[in-house]
Amino acid sequence: MASLDLDWEEVREQLRAWREDNTRHSEEVIDMWEYCLKHYKHKLGDERWMVEEQVVVAGLDSYRLDIAEHSLVALNEQFPGSLRVRKLKGMRLEALERFDEAMDVYDSIIRQDETNSTARKRKVAVLRGQGRIADAIKELTEYLKIFMSDGEAWQELCDLYLKEGDYSKAAFCMEELILTNPHNHLYYTRYAEIKYTQGGLDNMEIARSYFCQAAKLNPGNVRALYGLFLSCTQVSSSTKCSAQKKKETQQLATWALKEIADRYSKCRTNAMDGSKILETFGSLSITEKA
Amino acid sequence: MAVVWARLAFLAGIISLFHAGYSAAQHRAYMRITEQEYTSLPTDIGVQGLMSLLLTMYGILHIAGDFKEIRANVQLQNKSWETVGNRPTFYTFAHRGRALSPNYIPPKSKSLLDNIENISS
Repeated sequence: MASLDLDWEEVREQLRAWREDNTRHSEEVIDMWEYCLKHYKHKLGDERWMVEEQVVVAGLDSYRLDIAEHSLVALNEQFPGSLRVRKLKGMRLEALERFDEAMDVYDSIIRQDETNSTARKRKVAVLRGQGRIADAIKELTEYLKIFMSDGEAWQELCDLYLKEGDYSKAAFCMEELILTNPHNHLYYTRYAEIKYTQGGLDNMEIARSYFCQAAKLNPGNVRALYGLFLSCTQVSSSTKCSAQKKKETQQLATWALKEIADRYSKCRTNAMDGSKILETFGSLSITEKA
Repeated sequence: MAVVWARLAFLAGIISLFHAGYSAAQHRAYMRITEQEYTSLPTDIGVQGLMSLLLTMYGILHIAGDFKEIRANVQLQNKSWETVGNRPTFYTFAHRGRALSPNYIPPKSKSLLDNIENISS
């Protein structure tokens, strides 16, 4: 962050927007807190505690433990015995790599309140932080048996399976997510990418159709258009494909290419020549190692 | 500043609406007392009611803020996987970003001298 926003109301609005948007801007949050909002914290009113929580997490993320501990102490004074503050203490232990103590803290939270979902999720994060991906997967599947509608948990499980290289199970997780949010083009894109990675003609055809759906939902999704082009070329160059299907697929591939070139020509600068892109696309292919 | 005007407009509209209603009731009572036939509301009360309704609606719209899109996928048009795929409850802190912090102390690595001493002994 280059410039300093000295208008504390703007900073407060920005932090609130980041809180609601669910994005990760840890360093910017810390800078804004340190240089501006910290001096106006008494003017924030009720919002102060949410901002302090945001600062604690941002501080742990960017390893500014002094700032995080300061805010944690303030929260502890205001809400003694709160489970939410205890979870933050556990997160601080995680950042210090004292994983066993963090696990104990989360276990104590779960013992006190069986329905607390965030402590269970933090346990998974502890296992992931230690690098024990298989244990994290086991813990997360146990969690999902209890709380099966948690979209974030399904996303995390998909990511963990991808880390393990278990693409079929990752595809299953993505399918669950598509079922909950059928209008989200990003889920379709990711599912199609997983299917593309699995390879084979059937998966490639599935990938092609899902890339189509993503491009239909959001014509601005260039990643889906690229994926569409690649999967179409893969399908049409496969030996098991019939001649008529091959022709249709190639038409689809050329359409996708045209769309991508259009997008690039729309945001064209003098340095970039749109026509060269069509030439370089000819050499764009991912082949299997024989 | 716009919010203050909107609030004033809303308040003025509500008060004017109540005033119009009250004067309509008063008019009705007056008609009953003077035993005249009650056909319709006098136009000025009707016009006042209508104008205050419009003023209140204007004030409310500005206080309530912008409408949200009905189509669910329009909100997601400009979002990337970075924001949608972000999982704040699963944040891990053992990543390389730590090294960029001013408080970070890198773990001590074995120096060349230690290796040489081990080999010679």
